[in-house]
Amino acid sequence: MSFLTFLAKMGVYSFPIILIGVPLYAHLKGVPVYETFIKGAEEGLRVALDTLPYLVAIFVGISCFRGSGALELVSKAFGFLLKPLGLPVDVIPLVVIRPISGSGALALTGDILRTYGPDSSMGLLASILQGATDTSFFVVTVYFGAAGIKKTRHALGACLFGDLCGFITAFLIWRAMVR
Amino acid sequence: MNAVWLVLVGLGCAVALLTGNVDEMMASVLEGADSAIELVIGLAGLFCLWVGIEKLAEESGLIKAMARATRPVLGVLFPELRGKSKPLGTISATIVSNLLGLSSATPLGTKAMREIKDALKDEDDRMNAMIRLVVLSAAGLCFFPSSVVALRAATGSAAPAIVAGPTVLAGLAATCGGLSVHWLFSRRRRSK
Repeated sequence: MSFLTFLAKMGVYSFPIILIGVPLYAHLKGVPVYETFIKGAEEGLRVALDTLPYLVAIFVGISCFRGSGALELVSKAFGFLLKPLGLPVDVIPLVVIRPISGSGALALTGDILRTYGPDSSMGLLASILQGATDTSFFVVTVYFGAAGIKKTRHALGACLFGDLCGFITAFLIWRAMVR
Repeated sequence: MNAVWLVLVGLGCAVALLTGNVDEMMASVLEGADSAIELVIGLAGLFCLWVGIEKLAEESGLIKAMARATRPVLGVLFPELRGKSKPLGTISATIVSNLLGLSSATPLGTKAMREIKDALKDEDDRMNAMIRLVVLSAAGLCFFPSSVVALRAATGSAAPAIVAGPTVLAGLAATCGGLSVHWLFSRRRRSK
């Protein structure tokens, strides 16, 4: 457990350490700290703005898919297909949404944890699935959008296959845990 | 992306027309476009902060040092970028941010994408390196899944951190799975 708390602390404490450490080191190296930061921030703003058209496109696509009820239909179809494998029906929407919408998935995981309890077998599975991967659609859109690249080849396919591998591993570990 | 977007919009509209869900769909689409703007405004501050810090790291030589320190690993993962310390350094900073679960992962990752684009002339090399970075980031391998653990703690879990080990293993599987698919596709493209 202490190793886990160490890892948790490392994530939290690295933020202030980087925030003060990098400028201090740059200052010692004779870099004009304020001017350089501003230069970088300007570039950061441009990068963020460059991603806007890409984000609008993908958000429109996703919300069209979601608002029309198509997402629900797909979840149901997946549920039908995956039921024989022993995957609980209630986590299937989570598996479908996880690569598409980060905030949607987090809200769904929250619902499952509140309904079943975080330490129930369903709560455990939802937690592991939630943490298994990041939001592939978002990452592909923002990363390629920032670079101004519209043809992304097999990037999304590779990410989604990665998600699938993550989910299968999560499911197998969960089965070993609750048994 | 072309096909994906068409499927999302086409299937969405088709289902809306068939089920009479048109009003809801329309409201959701407009809301989606709005929330993209909101997201970008939210991200802009984060991007300014982290790219600003990264610039300091770059000019003080920290990024170069990171590129040197991570060469044994990144040299294998990104053979196209051999000797190009600027993108390699930013990539290593991105990966470290991801592993620590820091908010700097996306700002640094997007900057690394731009640097890869500038550093490589050959279209295939460039795309291969970029897709590899995207796959690594999308798998989101992290030492400690802090948002899930916080959510578990908030909903009254007796052992919120018990899922940390399993999520790391699942994240590893996602990383390896994504990278192998990319490897297969890039090989097939080359043999054509």
